[in-house]
Amino acid sequence: MSDTTQLLTTLGLSIVAAPVLLLAVFFSVFLLHRRLGEEVTGKLIQSTISISLLAAVSAAVIMLWQRVPQHPIELGDWVITPHYHLKFEFVLDLLSLSYVMLTLVLCAVIGAFSTRYLHREPGYQRFFVLFAIFLLGMVTASLSETVETLFAGWEMVGLSSVLLIAFFHELPAPPRNGLRVWIVYRFCDVALLLAAILMHEINGAGDFDHLVGEKAWPAHDPLLIGPHFTMLGVLFVIAAAGKSALVPFSGWLPRAMEGPTPSSAVFYGALSVHLGAFLLLRVSPVLDSSIWLQAAVVVLGLSTSAFAYLAGRVQSDIKSALAFASLTQVGIIIAEIGLGFRYLALLHLLGHACLRTLQFLRAPSLLHDHHQLENAIGSRPHEEGVLWEQKLPLSTQRRLYRFALERGYLDSLLEKCVARPFVAFFRGLDALETKWARLLDGETKAKEAPRDL
Amino acid sequence: MGKAARWRDEGEGGATRPVSELPWLELTLLLPLLGAVTVAFFKTPAEALRASLGFFITTLLTATAAGFQHGSAVLRHFAVDDLAAPMLPVLALLHLLTLLGTAKSRVSPMFCVRLLIAAFVSLAAVTCQTPWMLIALLVLGVLVPLWDLMSRGQPVRGYLIHMGLFVVLLVLGWRFAGSDTGYALLLLALLLRGGIVPLHGWLPTLFQGAAYGTAMVFVLPLMEVLAALRLLLPSTPEWMLNAASIVCLITAVYGGGMAIVQNEVRKFFAHLCLSQTALVMFAVMLHTSNGLTAALCLWISSTLSLAGLAFSVRALEARFGALSLREHHGFYEQVPGLAVCFMITGLASVGFPGTIGFVPMELLISGSADQGLGVSFTLATAAMFNGIAILRAYFALFTGKRPTTSVSLRKTPLERAGIIVIALIVFLGGWFSPGVVASRHHTADKLLERGK
Repeated sequence: MSDTTQLLTTLGLSIVAAPVLLLAVFFSVFLLHRRLGEEVTGKLIQSTISISLLAAVSAAVIMLWQRVPQHPIELGDWVITPHYHLKFEFVLDLLSLSYVMLTLVLCAVIGAFSTRYLHREPGYQRFFVLFAIFLLGMVTASLSETVETLFAGWEMVGLSSVLLIAFFHELPAPPRNGLRVWIVYRFCDVALLLAAILMHEINGAGDFDHLVGEKAWPAHDPLLIGPHFTMLGVLFVIAAAGKSALVPFSGWLPRAMEGPTPSSAVFYGALSVHLGAFLLLRVSPVLDSSIWLQAAVVVLGLSTSAFAYLAGRVQSDIKSALAFASLTQVGIIIAEIGLGFRYLALLHLLGHACLRTLQFLRAPSLLHDHHQLENAIGSRPHEEGVLWEQKLPLSTQRRLYRFALERGYLDSLLEKCVARPFVAFFRGLDALETKWARLLDGETKAKEAPRDL
Repeated sequence: MGKAARWRDEGEGGATRPVSELPWLELTLLLPLLGAVTVAFFKTPAEALRASLGFFITTLLTATAAGFQHGSAVLRHFAVDDLAAPMLPVLALLHLLTLLGTAKSRVSPMFCVRLLIAAFVSLAAVTCQTPWMLIALLVLGVLVPLWDLMSRGQPVRGYLIHMGLFVVLLVLGWRFAGSDTGYALLLLALLLRGGIVPLHGWLPTLFQGAAYGTAMVFVLPLMEVLAALRLLLPSTPEWMLNAASIVCLITAVYGGGMAIVQNEVRKFFAHLCLSQTALVMFAVMLHTSNGLTAALCLWISSTLSLAGLAFSVRALEARFGALSLREHHGFYEQVPGLAVCFMITGLASVGFPGTIGFVPMELLISGSADQGLGVSFTLATAAMFNGIAILRAYFALFTGKRPTTSVSLRKTPLERAGIIVIALIVFLGGWFSPGVVASRHHTADKLLERGK
C-alpha cells in the first residue's frame, strides 16, 4: 500500500472515528451516571467536528493534488457466511467528500449556534446527544460504499430527526408529529432494505461499485446495467422520496418544524432533506437503466416542487414557509438528477443547503431583521409586481388556495386511506381476540387491571 | 439407532471430563434448585430478594463458565453442546434481569421460588440431551405460570386449555415421531407454545393475569425454538415446515400490527413478543443454513433485547402501577435512564444498526430472499410495525406533562446496575456480532447435517 493510499485511508477513517468517539464519551457518561457541563459538551462537539472536517479537507486536497479520483476504504467483511456477507466500506470521491464537508461545515455552524441558543435549556444534553447521533449518521451515509453502510447511517439520521422533532416533549404536538414522521421514515426504510436485498441478489454483494463499475462518480460502466435495475431504481426512489419529503410523503415536512430551530435548520433546511437526493446521485447509474424511471424521477421532482411552491405561499409561520421553500428546491434537484445533470444537481444541493441553513438560523430574528430594514430605509418595504396567480380566474385561485392550505390533501388522504383502515382493522382483531380470551376463561366482564407485578 | 440415543451422540465430547475442570454445568443446574429450596424457607421478602440475587448472580457466573466449558457432559442427560453454549449465560442473565427489575415492594418469597424454578427449567432444557427429558422439562415449565395465575386468583381456564393441548400434542407427537402424523402433532404443539396465530389466545391473557416477571421468564427464553431445533429438525417433512413458515410470517405481521394499536403496556409487550417469537420461528422453519443461522442469532438478540425492554416497563409499573398507552405520561424527566433503556432495547429488538439486533435481522431478511422478494417484504413490514409500535409506546410513556409526585422516583441501585448491564449488552453485542454469527453458522450447519 503506497503512502498516499495509507494516508487517505487514515484520514477517511478519522472522519468517521471522531463522531464515534464522541458518542462513546456520551455513552460512558450515561453509564457512569454523570452529567457533562454545557461548556464541556460544546467543546466536545466543536473538537469532534473540527477533527472530522480537518481530515475531510486534507483528504480532498491530497486527492486533488495526487489526481486520485476515488479511494475506497475497506473495513473487511463484518459478517461472512457462504451465502451472505455484510461489509462495511467507505469511499472518498467527489460526491462523498462534497457531501461530508457540507455536513461538517453546517454541523459546525449549527453546533456553535446551538450552544448559545439552547443555553440553560433543560434538554441541552439530550439535544447534543441526538445531534451527535445525527452527525455520525450523516457522515456514515455520506461516505458509504455499500448499501449496508448507507442503511446504518440512514437509520441513525431518521431516529435522531424524529427524537429532535419531539424535543419539546412536554407539549402534546411534538411527540405526535414525531411519530408521524417516524411512520413515513419506517415505510421508506423498508424500500431501502428491499433494495439492499435485491442488490445482494443481483451482485451477491451490497457494494455500490458492483452497480456502477470501478469508475469514479459520476461515470459508470453501462455494461453492468441489468434487467432488475428498474425494480431496484423504484425501491431507491421510494426510499429517497420518504427521506426528502417528496410527493406523496410531503405531509410530514411542516410537522417536523416542531423541533428547536437549530435542528430544523440542519435537518429539514439543509442536510436530512437532501439525503434522498444524495442517494439518487449515488445510485444515478441505476436510474439510467430505464427511460421510464428517469421520466418518473423528473415528474416526481417537478410535482414536488410545484406542490411545495403552492403550499409554501400560504404558510403563516416562517419555519413552515422556509420548509416548503426548501422542498421546492429539493424537487428541482431531483428533477435535475432525473434529467441526468449530476454536477448541476450536486452544485445546486450544496448551494441550497448553505442558503437555507442561514435563513433558518435567522428565522427567530425575523422581526428584528425587518425592524432594522425598516429603520434603514425609513419606510415599510413594499412588494412590487403582480403575482402570476392573480392572473388566474377567481374560482381557480380559490381552488388553488384551498389545495395549498390543505397541503395538497396529502395528509388527510394518507390518514383516510391508510391510517384509519389500518387502525380499524387491527382494533377489530383486538376486540375479537379479547372476546375469544374471555370466552376461554369463562369470563363475562372485562378483566381488572393487574394488581401486582 | 433409537431416537434418544441418536440425539445424545450429537452432543459435543463424550461422557468423560478432565478432573481438573470444575463442574460448572452441574453447579449451573443445581444452584437455582438449591436457591428455590432455600428461599422457600425465608419469611421476609427482603431476605428472599437478597438470597435470590446471590443465587442468580452465582448462576450467571457458573453458566458463563459452563458456556466456555464447551463439550462437557454430566448426569447422562445434560451437556453443553454448540446450541447450549451461548444460551446458558443468556438465559441466566434473563432471569437475573427479571429479578433486578422487580420492585422490592412486589417481591415475595414465593415469587423468588417460582423465578428460581423457571431458571432451572430453562437452563436444564437448553442443555438437555434426551428428548423425553426435554419434553418433561417443557411440561414442568408450563406449571410455573399456572401456579402464579392460581396464586393470584386469576382465571386459568384459557391458559389450561392451551397448555393442556400443548402437552398432549407434544407427548403424542414425540411418541409417533418418525411418521408424518407425529411431526405434524409436534409442529402444532410448538406453534401453540410459541403463540403462533391463531393459537395465541393464552399469551396476552398470561401477561395481563400473571406476574410480569413470571410471564417474562415463560415467554422470553423461546423454549419452542429450542424444542423445534432439538425435536423437529431436520427430519420433519419440508412441506410441513413450509406451511408453518407461512403461519409464522402472518403472525409476525399480525403481532406487529396489534402492538401498534394496543392501549395497555402489557398487551403491547405481549404482542411484540408474539411478533418477535414468530420471526425466530419463521427463521427456524426456513431450515436452510442461512435461515438457521439467523434463527440462532435472533434467539439470543430477541431474548436479551426484550428482557431489557420488559425491565424498563416493569420498573415504570413499579412506580406508577399498570400503565395505559392512551395518554402521554411524561416520565422522561423523572426516570431518563429508563427512557434510554426502553429506547435502545426496543430498537435493538427491531434490528436497529449498531445494536445487538442489527446483524441477526439483516441475516433473517437476507436469508429469506431465496423465498422471494415478497417474503422479504413481509418480514421487513413486520419489523416496520414493531418499530412503529415501540416508538409509539416510548412517546406515550416518556413524553407529555411531567407528573407531580411527593416521593423520589429516581432509579434504585439495583435498577441502575440492570440498566448498565443492558446498555452494555445492547451495544457491545452489536460489535461482537461477527464472532457470534460465525459460531451460530457452524451450529446451524451441524444441525442440518444431523439427519444426513
